[in-house]
Amino acid sequence: MKYVKTALILAAICAVAAVVLATLNMVTEPAIEKYENQKVLSALESVSNGMDIGDMKTVDGDAYVQYLYPLTKNGKTGGYILGLSSIGYGGELGIIASFDTDGLVMNAILVSDSETPGVGKKAEAKGYMDKFIGTGSDSNPVPTSKSMLSDADAAAVSGATITYTGITKALKAGSAYVRSL
Amino acid sequence: MKANIKELTKGIFKENPTFIIMLGMCPTLAVTTQLVNAIGMGAGVLFVLLFSNIFISLLKNVIPNSVRIPCYVVVIASFVTIVQMVFHAYLPSIYEALGVYLPLIVVNCIILGRAEAFANKNTVLDSAFDAIGMGIGFTLALSLIAIIRESFGAGTITFFAIGGWDGIIKVPFFNKWPIRVMTLAAGALLLMGYLKAFFNWNTERKARKAEEVKA
Repeated sequence: MKYVKTALILAAICAVAAVVLATLNMVTEPAIEKYENQKVLSALESVSNGMDIGDMKTVDGDAYVQYLYPLTKNGKTGGYILGLSSIGYGGELGIIASFDTDGLVMNAILVSDSETPGVGKKAEAKGYMDKFIGTGSDSNPVPTSKSMLSDADAAAVSGATITYTGITKALKAGSAYVRSL
Repeated sequence: MKANIKELTKGIFKENPTFIIMLGMCPTLAVTTQLVNAIGMGAGVLFVLLFSNIFISLLKNVIPNSVRIPCYVVVIASFVTIVQMVFHAYLPSIYEALGVYLPLIVVNCIILGRAEAFANKNTVLDSAFDAIGMGIGFTLALSLIAIIRESFGAGTITFFAIGGWDGIIKVPFFNKWPIRVMTLAAGALLLMGYLKAFFNWNTERKARKAEEVKA
């Protein structure tokens, strides 16, 4: 009887916690969804270089490329925005990057990650992706190793090499994907 | 009231959770690469510690002794989830700034430690003062470690960005020639060792003085 009472008290505390969290989830879910959609929209707009963003197409069978949005200017295809996925130090990295029709990186943003704050998380900072802009051609490839960077850029990614490698692998795959279209 | 104030101040100095009780070492070593992270983590811990201490003190006569730890974990995890959902929905900038540290508060042993060592034996008011003192003590300790590590290791001190100001203060000399090991795990352990040695020396010095006065 004592064990039943103990189990019932524990179950009651768990049930109250579950009800409170479920109720709060119902209240906060619309606001969270709105915020996440807004975040993706503003990320798409910030990498679009002023071009018009077309409808999303899902990409199957590619290890890095998840989806693409065509970019058009004056009715002509000016490039693509790709949703890229890679692996960093803390798990999955979500990157939104735009490429011109030749596969050169126009812009990129790290939109989701679980990297270490102060170390890998620095990849979210404004300016981190600047070093990749214009890369992606045979003569100017995406810098997949620190030796391909300037001293200042190499120092900036020092201590967070796994994050850097994850991002460059995704951008390189994105560039190759656009060139194959 | 004097006793309440004592409960508040003990967590800041005499029983500082980081330097004296040595609790919450994992987040301490992990988040102190930048001052802004230390303040964010400290604020999150303070909030969860306050409410978990209050609720555990309220429920201390209801919770059976044999299942007290699972009950504490449920209470603590619930408050962390509440904070996480509310911040994500209504304070997204703070939610983004705290990042992975919000869910990590669940496993911060200061919170479970204070629930077990204090809140389940004391009144709601004392438990609340204990939580505030411990939370402030933890935040100050984290901030001290972060200021030293970031100044020496990166040559900067990073606050929250306000308006047009990016929140970064550059430290002369170290901004050009940083000691990078200070921002890595080895630097954190090294600094923690020196600070612990200093606080041990200080505690012993005070104890000796007190004995001399008695004699």
